[in-house]
Amino acid sequence: MSPSVTLALVTLVAPLAAALLCVLLPPLRHRGTPAAAITVLGSLLATSAAGLLAMEDVAGRAIRATVPWMVVQGRGLGQVGVRLDAVSIPMLAVVCLVALAVQVYSLAYMHGESRRSYGRYFAYHALFLFSMNTLVLAPDLLQAFAGWELVGLVSYLLIGFHFDRPSAARAAVKAFWMTKLADMGFLFALLVLYGRTGAFSWDVALRPEVAEAAAGLIFLAVMGKSAQFPLHVWLPDAMEGPTPVSALLHAATMVAAGVYLVVRADPLFAQAHWVQGGMLWVGTITAVFAALLGLVQTDIKRVLAYSTCSQLGFMVAALGAGSAFAGYFHLGTHAFFKALLFLGAGSVIHAVHSNELKDMGGLGRRMPLTAVTFALGALSLAGIPPLAGFASKDSILTALEGRAGWIPWALLLSTAFLTAFYMGRVLVLTFLGKPSPAAAHAHESPPVMTVPLIALAIPTVLGGLLGPWLARGLGGEMHLHLGLTPVLASLAGLGGLALSLATYLRGREAPLAATLTALDRASAVDRVWAFGYRSVLLPLSAVLRWIDRYLVDGLMNGLGWGTLETGQALRPVQTGRTRDYALAVVVGAVLLLVLGAWR
Amino acid sequence: MTLRALLLVATALFSLGIYGLLTRRQAVALLLSIEVMVNAANLVFVAFARYGSAPGHPLVLFALAITVAEVAVGLALVLLLYRRHGDTLLELASEAKG
Amino acid sequence: MSEELGFGLLALALVGVPAVRVVTCRDLVRAILWLAATLLGTAVLYALLHAPFLAGVQVLTYVGGVVTLMVFGVMVTRKHEATAFTIDGAARLRGALAALAFFVVVAVAILRTDLSSLTPVEPPSTQELAFSLLDRYLLAFEVASVLLLAAIVSAVVLARRRDPAPAAAQEAATLREGSTP
Repeated sequence: MSPSVTLALVTLVAPLAAALLCVLLPPLRHRGTPAAAITVLGSLLATSAAGLLAMEDVAGRAIRATVPWMVVQGRGLGQVGVRLDAVSIPMLAVVCLVALAVQVYSLAYMHGESRRSYGRYFAYHALFLFSMNTLVLAPDLLQAFAGWELVGLVSYLLIGFHFDRPSAARAAVKAFWMTKLADMGFLFALLVLYGRTGAFSWDVALRPEVAEAAAGLIFLAVMGKSAQFPLHVWLPDAMEGPTPVSALLHAATMVAAGVYLVVRADPLFAQAHWVQGGMLWVGTITAVFAALLGLVQTDIKRVLAYSTCSQLGFMVAALGAGSAFAGYFHLGTHAFFKALLFLGAGSVIHAVHSNELKDMGGLGRRMPLTAVTFALGALSLAGIPPLAGFASKDSILTALEGRAGWIPWALLLSTAFLTAFYMGRVLVLTFLGKPSPAAAHAHESPPVMTVPLIALAIPTVLGGLLGPWLARGLGGEMHLHLGLTPVLASLAGLGGLALSLATYLRGREAPLAATLTALDRASAVDRVWAFGYRSVLLPLSAVLRWIDRYLVDGLMNGLGWGTLETGQALRPVQTGRTRDYALAVVVGAVLLLVLGAWR
Repeated sequence: MTLRALLLVATALFSLGIYGLLTRRQAVALLLSIEVMVNAANLVFVAFARYGSAPGHPLVLFALAITVAEVAVGLALVLLLYRRHGDTLLELASEAKG
Repeated sequence: MSEELGFGLLALALVGVPAVRVVTCRDLVRAILWLAATLLGTAVLYALLHAPFLAGVQVLTYVGGVVTLMVFGVMVTRKHEATAFTIDGAARLRGALAALAFFVVVAVAILRTDLSSLTPVEPPSTQELAFSLLDRYLLAFEVASVLLLAAIVSAVVLARRRDPAPAAAQEAATLREGSTP
């Protein structure tokens, strides 16, 4: 086994071992701190291994180490193992790094929890890292599906972490149902692929209809997992989970898994031009729509949630334009600065004990580290050169040049402006101006929380430099050029930011804010889904419940009852009279004799 | 052949024993019927020992021994039955009912 | 043929008739005596079949031992009134049917078997028998002795004196008055 494969296995085994220990040894979990220590240790090992892997040069080649799974008639149904190439290694590194940062941050952030909850939290984190890595390193779509479902499970567990809160429990169920519905697409895609090719690989040449069907079905799942319109409604509600969870799962990694999947299965998607066209538009619409709604949110986490949704739209649009590189690049940079923003928000929330923007203000002076790192993240997100976010956003816009009559390009450029605008709003309302009563006693967070912020700030700023490396790995090129797009993008970012500062520092509100707020409150899409849930899913469940209780259980109970009744009916046979038994013996003997004589 | 005649007689004897087994109400009468049946079987053995080739005689001896043992225990049981119910009618031993 | 017939009739007379009386006689003591007669008849048959030793043993063990035991058993468990209804009416029919069925099946089998290939042999003498007991059948011999020991011990244990049950005697009385259960 080559050293690379060993390293890859470490990234899988270390978090898995941590998770298993936490699960199988309740004392570790119940005491809280041991579970946290084990999980962080596992993540540290995984991150180190991922880092070492990242330093290898895998351009153009792939290392595959698998064992067959479910061997039937000499052949395995699928393959289980790892695939190391220029697609999986960067993602692995990003996931492990962000996960480690978030987990360390959580050590302090989750301190208010009871010891049992604390331990449970970290057990889930260990499980998440293992699941995500399973997905990232998957050698075929079957294992990817397994990882996909697992992270969905952990997402449910962590959104509803404070399950005694009704809103959290509802949010978890909502997320689960919506993504599960979308995952049907993935499942059917697997069936199509297996039916056509007898395997689950994305590296196959298919007839156009088949490729479109498979890619389309997978994209359905991507829409769910990566919160694309109209399956985006679960993401804002997912903010019920603890903030570090929002940072890791619902910003950096899990929601990005959809994007990653499309990048991973690029050979398949490249054959499905109609699907790509659809992706282009879905991504664009999502980006615009979410950005508009993010502008009028009052909860800081919800702003970031809609922002995530919007940025995912950017990535999907890039993929739809055929540039897997641009989408992947933005995935990477977004992971870092969005996680940073969420953790920073967590720091602020921790200080003022509230999520609402109105309870913040003037925190720049009181929480300098948080403020600076948050600002860096915001600038990166807004696409201000030369930060990482600018580089990746620019590559997306470049990829969209000329596509579909320049309309997506124009819309996303406008969205870049909006992005800078709403982030400016957040900056002003949170860190500048006069502090609200709640913010009066705020103070900076402990180092355990601020060090991860600083750690994440570094790639947030410098991440753009890794672009060419990533591009080369994917077989392309990336160079900095001075053209229409980068200039316009920079202007959009700077302009949006400036306008935002001008508006909000003077205490004014953005134009059309009232309309947007009304739109947000109407939550039409949400209502449609709720209606579907109530009128389709729940009745269906009720029918199935009836079948299970009365037919299935009824059959079983009936068999039991029948057996007992038969036993009772046969009781009179035992008369207790010796003579009757003797008669039975004689009759039996006679019958046996007859039988014997006949042979 | 006399063997056949003997066998038929023995069968008749055995059948009579069966009739007694199924008909009599007294416990001791049951034992008597069983005796008749054993006797019929022994007769078959002896007949074959004479007219065929079979280890008849030793078998008969052992059958005798076994029968004796059985009678001893059987009578002890009859005594128990009597002590329990004051009579030896078979219906009294119906605890296995139902 | 005539030898067959003659032997058959003799056998019937010797054992068949007493056997019928055994299973039909109402009085238990008489039934026992008829059993003794059956056993004696069988002994005579053994003697005629060149098995004198067995005949002797039959008389000693069965007639002498078993029958005596039976008589004692009946005496001990006797009630004062006459033992009526020792034969169950309804059971008679099915008992007869079962016995008849058995007889028919086996008789048919016997009649259809070709016994001509068998030749008469001289059964073992007493000395041969004795030797074979300690030679070929040693294990069975020993086991039989253990069996007898066990039977004795268990009979003694079972028949130990315990308290009588007066209520049970009441139940037995009602039963005897009634018809078939």
